[in-house]
Amino acid sequence: MNKIFAIAKWEFLEKVKTKTFIISLIITPIIIISFSVVPTLLGDQETERTKIIGMLDSSYVFFDTFKDEIEKLRLENNQLAYVLINLTEKNKSNQDLIKNADRRIMQQNVLGYLFVNSCSKDSIRVQYRSQDHTNFKDIINFEAAFKIILIKNQLTKMGYNIDGFNFIDDQVHIEQVKIDSSGDEGKKDFLTVFFSSFIFILLLMMMVIYSGQMLVRSLIEEKSNRLIEVLVSSCTPDELLAGKILGLSSLGLTQIIIWALIGLSLIGGAVVPPEVFSNVGIMLVYFILGFIFFTTLFVGIGSIVNTEQEAQLMTTYLSIILMFPIVVAVPAIQNPDALILKIFSFIPFTIPSVMLLRVNVSDVPVADIWLTILILLLSTILMIKISAKIFRIGALMHGTKPTMKEIISWIKSDV
Amino acid sequence: MLIVEELTKKFNGYSAVDKLSFKVEPGRIFGLIGPNGAGKTTTLRTVLNILKPTSGSIMFENKPITTNFYNHIGYLPEERGLYKKSKVIDVITYFAELKAIKKSSAITLADEWLKKMHIERYRGNKIEQLSKGNQQKIQFITAVIHNPKLLILDEPFAGFDPINQQEIKELILSFVTSGKVIILSTHQMETAEKLCEDILLIDKGKEVCSGSLKKIKNDFGGNNIKIRYSGKITEISELEEVKHIDYYSNYAEIELSPDATPNEFLRKIINRIDIAEYTVIEPTLNRIFIDLIKQNSTQN
Repeated sequence: MNKIFAIAKWEFLEKVKTKTFIISLIITPIIIISFSVVPTLLGDQETERTKIIGMLDSSYVFFDTFKDEIEKLRLENNQLAYVLINLTEKNKSNQDLIKNADRRIMQQNVLGYLFVNSCSKDSIRVQYRSQDHTNFKDIINFEAAFKIILIKNQLTKMGYNIDGFNFIDDQVHIEQVKIDSSGDEGKKDFLTVFFSSFIFILLLMMMVIYSGQMLVRSLIEEKSNRLIEVLVSSCTPDELLAGKILGLSSLGLTQIIIWALIGLSLIGGAVVPPEVFSNVGIMLVYFILGFIFFTTLFVGIGSIVNTEQEAQLMTTYLSIILMFPIVVAVPAIQNPDALILKIFSFIPFTIPSVMLLRVNVSDVPVADIWLTILILLLSTILMIKISAKIFRIGALMHGTKPTMKEIISWIKSDV
Repeated sequence: MLIVEELTKKFNGYSAVDKLSFKVEPGRIFGLIGPNGAGKTTTLRTVLNILKPTSGSIMFENKPITTNFYNHIGYLPEERGLYKKSKVIDVITYFAELKAIKKSSAITLADEWLKKMHIERYRGNKIEQLSKGNQQKIQFITAVIHNPKLLILDEPFAGFDPINQQEIKELILSFVTSGKVIILSTHQMETAEKLCEDILLIDKGKEVCSGSLKKIKNDFGGNNIKIRYSGKITEISELEEVKHIDYYSNYAEIELSPDATPNEFLRKIINRIDIAEYTVIEPTLNRIFIDLIKQNSTQN
């Protein structure tokens, strides 16, 4: 046991001191932030401003009513979301009006304007003309306002007193509520599910790839300088493997924790809903088992390959397997009970990531959870045994890459 | 004492080591020699418990070699290498810790050894900043820092200059007097001849010859002579007793045919050339090695 810790300590300390580690510690968050935070910041600025919108309505029917409706929309600080300006002038043709209005857009007097083109009994045709494609939310707001106006007009014609129907104005937000088997309601919307599953899957992927590559690299180094012979004459191969996995996964964990801290301090904790961590216990089980499973797989591969290039090729394939849940994520959230998803949740390679997703999206039967954990546990034990065997022989071999047949004979052999 | 009996190691049906038996006594250096691919490394790896033998037994001090024994083994592999980017003192203490030495005493021991090897000034340097010879010294330290009972040295002198070779040789001899069990594997027959008291020559995984160096030389030798002379060498080189002759300007080394004796040969040639010196010489281990391996390969 002491030797495992000695190896783990060595792997951790020697790697932590390298320039590569320090550089990736700083560069990666910068990249992530520039990809995620910058667009958000830009988007936020836009919504925080009152937008000045024009209206060209030769029928003179809609301006006042539309102004009433649209100015009911407020920003977070109770500021008006839109200010409506009348661009219609008497005794001018539509073409002249459009020309004038377009010029005002160019001069940036208004962001855009609504051109109410024709008006029949129950339908209107409206153009929204602006320099840029506008936020689709604006369009939704405009459409809703027109709809309300039309409904009100209809009701007035039918002789109702519309003052009583003002509730129509209140916008309805549909909140999704998931009912657990216990009957409790869990307040989870799409975003929460997305975040809670993806944070874990992404962390798993990053840690597996990061630590796995470190592991393969350190094995290749020891193989090429034959230090491996000295190491396995000092401790058992299993101790060596355990020490390496422990040391390098702590390294990966350290890195991710630092990234997370940098990220949280910059974006703020508010982005991640606290409900993310409601299933944390069960998710951790999948996470840890999945991590050990994939890392031991990397060890097996690391013992077969001799050069960095070969290793890179192999790790690329493994990373693709890990990416798989990203592909199925959206359909999975839409249809958590799909058969194909259930099948994938019983295949060792995809259990960790698919189950991380499933436990959050729907109420997975307890039997499924136990069964998948059992499968994952057994296949992890099997993987450790296989990898340790490949490692015992492969680590001492060098030169040509062994064939599949040879590797199978290693696994069968009693080393 | 290390006792190996009927050791066999097969890879995919091919025997890399075939029924090999030998004893290594403490206080004597045991030389394991053989041509490339003879099975030396496989033998050493099975003794080191890196590989499991297919059959046979390996006992040290009457106990089988198990994982408990790791801390008493010192191993210097033939091909050397260390963590290039790491500091000298860190590398040495790491290997000492792997042999279950506490960190504090590992540092003290490391400093003692660095001083003994006259490289204490490199303590804080990275391995890659050291010369090849000094890197070898570091690796030697990692093999012996834990004062092992069984020391396995594979080509310990390779890569050292003559001065360092001398230094390492003296160290190894000091281990002999302290009663360690030492196996030395080498291609340098001169080294083996100078250091080893017992020899095991293997080829194709099998024993070719074994025993004390003296006995081996007696078995093979006695029929080699060296003469210093003046006169025509052709006078004697054509005699039927001469099996093989190497001659130089004023001396010659002659291997006599098996039925001739040095005394009779001297009587026969004394009238043909003037002899300044006549010595019966032992065959070199190098000669024995070449002859035996050639003989072995023609037999198979």
